Formats: sequence, structure tokens, C-alpha cells
Amino acid sequence: MAKQINMDPHKCPMPSQEPLVRNHNFEEVALGYTPEMAVSEARRCLSCPKKPCQSGCPVGIDIPGFIARVAQEDFEGAYQILAASSALPAVCGRVCPQETQCEGKCVRGVKGESVGIGRLERFVADWHREHSHETPVRPQPNGHKVAIVGAGPSGLTAAGELAKLGYGVTIYEALHLAGGVLVYGIPEFRLPKSIVQQEIDGLKAMGVDIETNMVIGKVLTVDELLEEEGFEAVYIASGAGLPRFMGIPGESLKGVYSANEYLTRINLMKAYRPDSKTPILHSRKVAVVGGGNVAMDAARCAKRLGAEEVYIVYRRGMEELPARKEEVEHAQEEGIIFKTLTNPVEVLGDEDGRVRGMVCVEMELGEPDDSGRRRPVVKPGSEFTLEVDTMIMSIGTSPNPLIRSTTPGLDTNRHGCIITNGEDGLTSREGVYAGGDAVTGAATVILAMGAGKQAAAAIDRYIRNK
Amino acid sequence: MFRIAEKTVLNPTVTKLVIEAPLVARKAQPGQFIIIRAMEDSERIPLTVADYDREAGTVTIIFQIVGGGTMELNRLEAGESVHDFVGPLGRPSQLEGLKKVAVVGGGVGCAIAYPTAKRLHELGAEVHSIVGFRSKDLVILEKEFEAVSDRVVKMSDDGSWGEKGLVTNALEALIREGNQYDEVIAIGPLVMMKFVAKLTKEYGIKTTVSMNPIMIDGTGMCGGCRLTVGGETKFACVDGPDFDGHQVDFDEAMRRGSMYREFETHAREASCNLFKKEVE
Repeated sequence: MAKQINMDPHKCPMPSQEPLVRNHNFEEVALGYTPEMAVSEARRCLSCPKKPCQSGCPVGIDIPGFIARVAQEDFEGAYQILAASSALPAVCGRVCPQETQCEGKCVRGVKGESVGIGRLERFVADWHREHSHETPVRPQPNGHKVAIVGAGPSGLTAAGELAKLGYGVTIYEALHLAGGVLVYGIPEFRLPKSIVQQEIDGLKAMGVDIETNMVIGKVLTVDELLEEEGFEAVYIASGAGLPRFMGIPGESLKGVYSANEYLTRINLMKAYRPDSKTPILHSRKVAVVGGGNVAMDAARCAKRLGAEEVYIVYRRGMEELPARKEEVEHAQEEGIIFKTLTNPVEVLGDEDGRVRGMVCVEMELGEPDDSGRRRPVVKPGSEFTLEVDTMIMSIGTSPNPLIRSTTPGLDTNRHGCIITNGEDGLTSREGVYAGGDAVTGAATVILAMGAGKQAAAAIDRYIRNK
Repeated sequence: MFRIAEKTVLNPTVTKLVIEAPLVARKAQPGQFIIIRAMEDSERIPLTVADYDREAGTVTIIFQIVGGGTMELNRLEAGESVHDFVGPLGRPSQLEGLKKVAVVGGGVGCAIAYPTAKRLHELGAEVHSIVGFRSKDLVILEKEFEAVSDRVVKMSDDGSWGEKGLVTNALEALIREGNQYDEVIAIGPLVMMKFVAKLTKEYGIKTTVSMNPIMIDGTGMCGGCRLTVGGETKFACVDGPDFDGHQVDFDEAMRRGSMYREFETHAREASCNLFKKEVE
């Protein structure tokens, strides 16, 4: 059967909730392809022999392979190809920055839009979840034990890879729920928590043990895991850490949140539900300071909680926003107001200590800085006050000190990130590997997963060669 | 799940729970805290460790019923279990090497001041405990303090127990008597710690306070527990909860502590209309 190629220059659009409906609910924004849409989109793939898309994937999925199966309507076959490389396809299909990875390398993207690889990945993973009821096969145990610190995307990926090889894997999670940023950070409307839970249940069915409420560095140290608990290797995937603040006056007023706190209240503690026992301020006018994906998530949550006006305040321009383009577009559609080239210099409070406004200055872009981006400089005399009752700081994080301060001989850099030998994730301590945000500082889910996958392979080599 | 081995009502608003948590008990030290969730959908509540028994594998917490979360916790009985119990979190108090210490406890803060006094006593320090309550009905741990202190000064706001007056009055009297303290450790309401620190600053005595700001995760992720200490932003969960009392911005901490007061009051009244009693 000759494969028909669909030469439509555009991706099949993603069915989505209407912007002015969805900005009042926490249900998922994108609704997913139908089988017909998926097959049609899959037929846009040229099956390039060199597979440039695959080289853009941090976990190396055989992308043309799975897409060919979709085109043949063999959705389960497509899933098996995804599952061979990725522990969390339903998650990645939703939150990966495909435009800078697989889709960024797609040949179809040269003269039109790239193949909707992420949308197809999502379709296949969702199809599998809804149609397949097979429990994963428990691999034959190989008699070796590995401990993983942190049940976020990196730790879960490493756990899946090691479990497949027969290792006895225990993940230690500090919070009461596994998932890391997938459950405390990324909101329900971008990544339904039931999907995360199912991916985690899949790992448990493979024999992965997840111990929640275990803060490594406190209840047990890395050395105790190695010496007393019988683990031959430890993979540290403890995540990004403490939020940064700007150091401007008024940041301790009531109504100033870090994005981490705001999102944790909403996502992990479900503060958006009326019956939640964890409170959140229901604000009228909100400014989110920062321009990354986390800032977009916080702004869109604030809107959904009923805020009339929500601003993204960012010191560079629209072009420089670090968030994914799709997230920025979604935010704009939902009515988020972008105040770019704007920087806060002071938070103003009322007599009760609550935020009442924010003094900002306008910026203009000067010469490029170390990051290659043009440096924002203050426009003289441009000071103005933005009236807001809530301010959410989303300007990055610095690494959590709990593990480095309790693991002698573990080298960290001047920022406090764990130093590794690169691809393997080996730290300065034998048998101790690290990856994800704990090494790189705040980055993406898929990069953390890629690191988990590589570290798992390195741990396997290390234990086999011992 | 973590089983409640014992429950004791210390006064109408303060409850003691002994919880089976062997791993936490193995590591806990005075000054550290835990995070507890009564049920699967409960708030995460940070509470300072009041005692621990490494052999029995238990950790004791003492809490005051202030909002929905603590009311929910208070409804559990011995033999039942709490859903989550995480710790020990935060840095332990630095007590080694101290020879003579005044431990100042106010209200339910005495629950945390007590293990500190006990540990100092074990380390051979001379311990003067100054404990204050609003009235006789609210007194907790009286015998326990007596057992580990070389001297106990009891104070109450209304004079119904010990002497009438504030803990700062008693502390100043002891200092004026000529007691030379290596350190004053104050644990209680923010306003009490603020005035203890103000007093000891005048006398140049090193003072440590234990802060209990609003927290969510308690592990160094949310940043909700930030305080200004010596002009810098510090996080009580990983940098504290003990801080130099002369450096803490108490006024700011008091303001931030009231962020959800309406929500707490609402949750309390929604649960129980009889519970209108003002608590400290």
C-alpha cells in the first residue's frame, strides 16, 4: 500500500476550549485530536531517512516510526514505540517545547508548519490510556537496588528505565504526592493530574516503590541510603528549589507570592476548588513578574480564580519572552495583559500591610548582555504606578540546600547546582548521580527526563561493571 | 499513615499527640519541626517537635486549635492515624556549650520551649525557665518545666497563676538580680519574642527565637515562610526556624502571619459555633 502524503502546509488545528470560556475553569484547554485528525496529521510526515526530528528529542523517541504507525491506524503499535523511549508520553505530548526540539527540526517546517509531533504523541498516549487495559509486565528482578531522590519528571523517568532493566527502584518523594512539578507546578488545565497519576500508577505496576513524605537530607541522608539501606547507587533529581525575589521594597507585604507558592496552593493543594482547606487570595488585579512558562501558568491561574485584570510584567520585549510561544498565545487569548519592557521597583502597601500597587519603570533594550539578549535599561523619568492587589514573583529559583549540605564530598557550583560529568550525570561521589533542575537550574520537563534516562543508563553500566 | 499512640487534652485549646513515626523519631532534635496532614485532603500544617522517643519510635507534637486544619487534627483520637507526617525539618537548635540559659516560653510556645529546656538540662546547663500564660486555665507542661529547670518563674496576664505580669518583666528582674546568661531562648507569640529581643538587646545578651511563619511544603520550595533577618530574605524552613532575635523583623512577620486570618476564622466558625473563644 503506497503511503499517501498529506501536503497541507498547515498542521491540523488542535480542538480547544473557547478562550473566554476556559479562562473561567480549570479544565484542560486543548481537547486532543480525533483518530481521523491524527491519521491525517500523521500523513503529513515525509518519513525522512535521516530522522532529524529524533535528534531533537532529549529522550530519542523514534518519531517517524511512531507516526508511521499512526498513519496506518495502528495506535497501539505507535504507543509501544513511544513507550520504548519515554516513560511519560501523555505528559510530554502536552508540555514539551516541541517547537524548539523535534518539531523545530522537522523538514515540513521549512516551507510550512512542521508535523504536529507533540499533538500526535499526546493522541497516541491518550488512546492507549483509554483503550488498553493491560498491566505492564514486571521485569525479572536483577537483584540490585537503586534509590531515586524526587518523584518529578527526571526521577520518574530514571525509575522507569531502571525498573525495565530489573532493578529494584525506590523513589523518595518529599511531598505527600508523587509527580514533582507535574503536580505542584503545572496547572490542571495544561496537564490533568489524573494523567500524571496514571503514568505513576504504571511505574508502580512495574514494581517501582514510591515513598512519599521522605525528605532526603533530613530523614535519611544520601550516605545512609548507600551504607545502611542497601542501595548501590543514588540518583538525585530533587528539582529546582527556592524561589528568588527581586530585593525591592515591599516584597513581604500581604499579597506578594512566589509563583511556586501560588501554584503549589492551587495545584497541589487544590485551592481553586471551593471546598479546599488551603486558602488562596482571590484577587481583583494581579501582576505576575517574569516571562517564562511558570509566569504564564500563574497568570492564567489568577484569571481563572476570577481576577478582573491580570498583567505579565516583563523587563524585556515580547520577542524575548522565554515562555513557549503557544503558552503566550493562550495567555493572550484568555485576556492576560502583557506589560513588557516594564520592571517593578517597589511594591506599595496599604495601612493593613496589603499590596495596593506596584511602582514600575519603563525599559528599553540596549546592548546584548552575556546571555546574548539585549540588556534592558531604565528609561529615565518613566516611573508609574500599576494598581494591583496581588503580585506574583516568577523570576526563577535557586537550588535547594538540603542535599548538598548533608552530603559530604558532593561538589556544587557557585549557584549551588550539583556538578556532574555531563551526559552520565555522575557527581563527584562514586555511585551518586544527579540530573534535572538540581543540576541545570530551572529548565524543562523533557530535559529533566532526558537527564533521567541518561543517568539510568550510566547507573546500569556502573552497577554491571562493579 | 502514622498512628496516634496517645492523645492528651492539655487545655481547652491545646492538644498533645504522640505519633508513631520511627524514622522521624530517629533523627529529630530540639528546634526542628514536622509537617502534618490529618487527612488526605487536609492542609499541610508545620508544627515544632515537642518531644521524641527514639526507642519507642514516637514524636510528640503539641498544637493550638486556631483554624480548620488544627480542628480537623484535633478530631482524631488515639488509635487513629494521620495521613502524612514529614520531618524532621529545619535546623536543630544550637545548644551545645551553653552554661547558663534563660528559656522564655509564652502560651503554646511553651510546648517548644520545653524540649529546649530539657535538652539544655541534659547538657548540664543551668536553666532558668520563664513561662507565661494568659490565665491559669491555659497552663501546660508545668511539672515538666519544673523537672528540667534550676529555676522556674511562672507568669500570667491576669494573676491567676504565678505572678501577674509579662515574661519580659520576669526576665528583666532576673537579669537585674545579676544572672549572667550566655543566651536567652524565647519561644512564643511573635509579639512576646519581639519584646524579649528588645529587652535583651538593651542588656547585650544573645537571643534566639523560634519562628513559625505560614508554610506550604516546608522543604525549601514555596518560599511562603520568608522572613527578613538582618535585612536579608531568609526561609524559616531551611535557614531556620531558629534565628537571631536581634535581627528578625518581627513587625513584618506579624503582618504576614495575618494574611489568611479571615479564612482561619471562617473555617473555625464554620466547623463549630461554640468555638468563639479568643485564643492567643
